[in-house]
Amino acid sequence: MSTSFSLYIPRESGMHRLHPLTKLALVAFCLVLGLFLPGVWLTYLAFMLLIVPLAAWAGVLPSFLRAVFKTALPVVISVFLVQGLFWPGGTPILHLGPLSLKQEGLQFAIRSAGRFITVVSSFLLLTFTTRPDGLMLALSQRGFPNSIAYIMLATMQIVPRFQTKANTILDAQRSRGLETEGNLLVRLRALLPLVQPLLLGSIIDIEERAIALEVRAFGRPGPKTSLLVLHDTPAQRVLRWLLLLAMLAVIGWRLYLAIAPRLAA
Amino acid sequence: MIRLGDVTYFYPRATTPALAGVTLEIPTGQFCAVIGANGAGKSTLCYTLAGFVPHFYRGKLSGGVEVAGVDVPASSLAQLAGHVGLVFANPFNQITGARFSVREEIAFGLENMGVPLEEMATRVEDILGFAGLRDLAERSPFALSGGQQQRLAIASVLVMRPPVIVLDEPTSQLDPIGSREVFAVLRDLAATDAATVVLAEQKLEWVAVFADRVIVLHEGRIVADGLPGDVLASADLAQYGLQPTRYTQAARAAQAAGFRADRDDLPVTLEEAVEFFR
Repeated sequence: MSTSFSLYIPRESGMHRLHPLTKLALVAFCLVLGLFLPGVWLTYLAFMLLIVPLAAWAGVLPSFLRAVFKTALPVVISVFLVQGLFWPGGTPILHLGPLSLKQEGLQFAIRSAGRFITVVSSFLLLTFTTRPDGLMLALSQRGFPNSIAYIMLATMQIVPRFQTKANTILDAQRSRGLETEGNLLVRLRALLPLVQPLLLGSIIDIEERAIALEVRAFGRPGPKTSLLVLHDTPAQRVLRWLLLLAMLAVIGWRLYLAIAPRLAA
Repeated sequence: MIRLGDVTYFYPRATTPALAGVTLEIPTGQFCAVIGANGAGKSTLCYTLAGFVPHFYRGKLSGGVEVAGVDVPASSLAQLAGHVGLVFANPFNQITGARFSVREEIAFGLENMGVPLEEMATRVEDILGFAGLRDLAERSPFALSGGQQQRLAIASVLVMRPPVIVLDEPTSQLDPIGSREVFAVLRDLAATDAATVVLAEQKLEWVAVFADRVIVLHEGRIVADGLPGDVLASADLAQYGLQPTRYTQAARAAQAAGFRADRDDLPVTLEEAVEFFR
């Protein structure tokens, strides 16, 4: 039984030991590369030379690649089909019956797929190597609101419980003869006796959890401490600034490429 | 020390009071059980001591509520946190969801109070041992059984060292094994005298074992107040919708058949029953 939505894989790697903000900066940098690198092939280069080595360093490469593959494959396939085959006009390079593969469409698909893979893999890299509570703690220490950090963490753990409860209610109603299989109308009608107890029950749950949080001094103003200790180093602080500058540089380069032809004209 | 002076409370839009003229004094260190049928006002009394009546539920409260030197209606919930600990029936809803291990879950309250790391670590380890959770310290709080989760909820409150701890039917949603685990922790708690404890509970056999004092609530009023042996063996219990312990029932049945008909101190615990029937 899964107790959390978290994809975090505990490992004793250098990547895991990095301060959460450093990992966040690294991932943001990868994201910027994916979104702003010009041309068709550079994003693939960023993926192969930066993101994959980082995942390998973290010791999560096999599960990381599997996750990237599973997430990206459906999107990549559909992008290639739709853009490759249905690009308006364009130069046909391969005829497939009534359809033809267009060069421009193919290029566009390669570029989009590269961006998508880079963006998805950046996020996966962060979630695979960063404890969610560590990340939230790091953000809270920088002034991120505690209540939002709480909501993000609690959602990860409480939503799976919510699903379990929904299944319990569904089983209970089924055992009383509720029909849940059949055409759309039957299924829709089956939803009502499921939603009512689930919603009412959840409202009571929320009220009780609010009380429990107050008992645990969650609403208390003033500085908080943490059992979890985050390790930061001067080198990482420098690295974070460098990454920020690098992101600005990449964005600036891209803007320059976009504007330069017009300036020349 | 807990002091209630003529406390009457109406929930919002209610026409009958949930508590009606409750006056009560509980000395420091006492383990006081509150019993009564469903709807008698046990939970409301618990919420009043912890400040959720009236601060959370609103409604209309009159009379004075003082808990360990603090005027409850005049304080905010944030001020009362760490001063009055509250544990309630549903173990799952008391887990914050913001922490991924039992150890961190226990530390959550101390983190919010800003307790320094070293002190926090020591206190968490102590409580892990006290509540019998040391072997589960690295587990996810959601991967525990009901009884373990409830022990976690109690530990999470105890670690904040509130002078007063209020437990509202902490075993009502647990199976017999879970209940036994929780009562074992409560018995240890009663033995330490570290805090004043108010326990609302329906399981009278357990109340008889470790309460210093038993209060009976009926329709928002205190109708009996005294030593467990006296209150639990009293013939009035039935009219308040409560069933005496099986020991008392057995003794009463035996008396009706002529056995030891002269005795008026009926047993409420197993030991007393053994002595009675010997």
